[in-house]
Amino acid sequence: MKNGLIIFLGVFATLAVSWAGLLLGAHKQIGSLPQFKDPIEQTLNPAPLSGIADQGRLVYQDLGCATCHTQQVRYAGFGADIERKWGERGSFARDYIREQSVLIGSSRLGPDLRNVAARPYASAEFFHGLLYAPESVAPGTNMPAHKFLYEVRSLNGSQSSYKALKLSGTHAPAEGSEVVPTYRAEALVAYLMSLKDTYNYPDEQGLNAPAPAKEGGH
Amino acid sequence: MNPNVSHSRAEQAEIDASARWPVTVFLVSGLLWLIAGGALQLAANIQLHTPSFLADCAWFTHGRLAPAAQNALVYGWGFNAAFAFGLWLMARLSATTLRHGGWLFVAAKFWNVGVTLGLAGILGGYSTSFELLEMPKHVALLLLGAYALIGVWAVTTFSIRNTENIYASQWYLFGAAFWFPWIYSIAQVMLIRTPVRGVLQPVVNAWYVHNLYALWFLPMALAAIYYLLPKLLGKPISQYYLAPLAFWWFVICSAFAGGARLVGAPVPVWIPTLGTVASFSLLLPLIIFGLNFMGTVSGRFGHVGGSLSLRFVLLAMGGFLVNVILTLLLSLPRSAEIAQFTLLGTLRDWSALYATFTVAIFGAAYFFLPRLTGKEWRSSALIKAHFGATVVGLILLVIGYGAGGWQQGGLLNSASVGFADITAALSGWHMLNTVGLGVLLVGHLAFLINFVWIACPINSQGTANVSIPVPPALALAGKEGHA
Repeated sequence: MKNGLIIFLGVFATLAVSWAGLLLGAHKQIGSLPQFKDPIEQTLNPAPLSGIADQGRLVYQDLGCATCHTQQVRYAGFGADIERKWGERGSFARDYIREQSVLIGSSRLGPDLRNVAARPYASAEFFHGLLYAPESVAPGTNMPAHKFLYEVRSLNGSQSSYKALKLSGTHAPAEGSEVVPTYRAEALVAYLMSLKDTYNYPDEQGLNAPAPAKEGGH
Repeated sequence: MNPNVSHSRAEQAEIDASARWPVTVFLVSGLLWLIAGGALQLAANIQLHTPSFLADCAWFTHGRLAPAAQNALVYGWGFNAAFAFGLWLMARLSATTLRHGGWLFVAAKFWNVGVTLGLAGILGGYSTSFELLEMPKHVALLLLGAYALIGVWAVTTFSIRNTENIYASQWYLFGAAFWFPWIYSIAQVMLIRTPVRGVLQPVVNAWYVHNLYALWFLPMALAAIYYLLPKLLGKPISQYYLAPLAFWWFVICSAFAGGARLVGAPVPVWIPTLGTVASFSLLLPLIIFGLNFMGTVSGRFGHVGGSLSLRFVLLAMGGFLVNVILTLLLSLPRSAEIAQFTLLGTLRDWSALYATFTVAIFGAAYFFLPRLTGKEWRSSALIKAHFGATVVGLILLVIGYGAGGWQQGGLLNSASVGFADITAALSGWHMLNTVGLGVLLVGHLAFLINFVWIACPINSQGTANVSIPVPPALALAGKEGHA
């Protein structure tokens, strides 16, 4: 190849086509996906995040939770996400339109979190325990403790806060003191409690379900 | 050099002299980042098997430490090293001196200030959490500004070239110089300035991350291999006429392969499918690279023992092969079902950044530093330590990430295995990786010491006990524009 201009044009075209084809193409297809209005309940789905949950999303972002946690439930038949009860269904594109930044993650050193609030053990108390002393609620985990999101303060004889964590054994604070969540911890837990994709959109229902088993066998 | 054209070409010594200080500055900053990033990466990996390590300080919680380490290695080490190597090679192959190099010091300063602020931002809690775009958004402007100064040098050096032909390494260098600012600004605009909606964000992110590896780091490594193999072996690239086909095929497929990172994700299914097809098409350029490189090496294996650069180049070729295999493994739905979200994904990106790019840059550095400084390497023991540590570290990490990732994928896909059991099963692999990363860090320290010895102006003549064999003149030099 001798001609610098041809190399330049080729180099330019390669990326231009990839950008236009992949990113603009995808944008045209799903860039304006609307909320779905339930015909009977008259609710909009997915519902927008509450204010505190949206602030919790920022905490999730700045602590880098996405380093170890995905937020995407794979559809039935692809991996064991459904069998692990990480969700009742695979995630749909529409589930994510409520979030300003979508962090679906790419590593599962920890479990998937997309549907974490729909699991039986999910409660604010559980998540606070998990963040303050992971071993206290999830034995054997290698999740790091996030003690810096909590304040240990001495009671000085006054009554314990209603927000104080109920900890026991080795994780409990010293006698006469209590562990209370900071606002950041409360926001993060509110965000985790909002991760619940249980609404079944009629449009998408068939999209990622496994092909129905053939009956009759003809 | 062909005497007929030599009068219009700058002498090699003159080119090297003009590039000496800009290259040294970029390489020194890069190496310091390599050590710093390596230490952060080691600490982040220790946290995986010892979660209490540094956990009490918000700045060093794993979710911040791991991206900070990755950013230090990519933007600190990777880019500085690519600038050092790319500017020098571009000047050499274009047979022209690097002019007005003083501006490059300004650019280097801005770039490194940008990376420092970016890392402080990530550790201090201003991360955007988008993979490889974690740095706070204002830092991106600083990086782009600094890059503009550096990229312009590569492009102008290319456009005032004194050669008739354009050699393969120049295609890759020129392309990379052009692609990076484009993908980076698109990602900044579409993710951070005016974010697109919903799952388009992961699509943009995957496109950026894939292109950063495939259209910036891998081309740099390929440029190094295309340049060093004929230089060190004293023969032209075999089947060179196929190289243009490999170039175009490789870059076009790579530009579309990013979607394969989203197999099974809640995005329109044509995106990962297109990515899978594009990834598979990479097999053709892989075959051509094999013909080009292995054909050149074949029959000259005797040289491998004598040349350290050549050994690193061969190692980088192995790294490239591992990277393509993992790209395929992670894009085919059948294997991605097991491999995705595991340590194998880490291995894919690490094999591009480290096993291919970094190792190729080491090979190039052992070649060009003595020529730039006019001195020889001081300590052969440190060279041996560096090479040995690289080989051992690479093997340990390929096993640790590879076998560990495969086991992790299998366990994640059997619903009866609890998460605590997966963590327990992985802990041994994490420890192995800690050892591997530690070994690599020792090698980098050895290289840094040797580098300071050779680059420090106070040190007069190195006590040469390792001699670099002068490569035989290239028969192809004039024809292929090979300076």
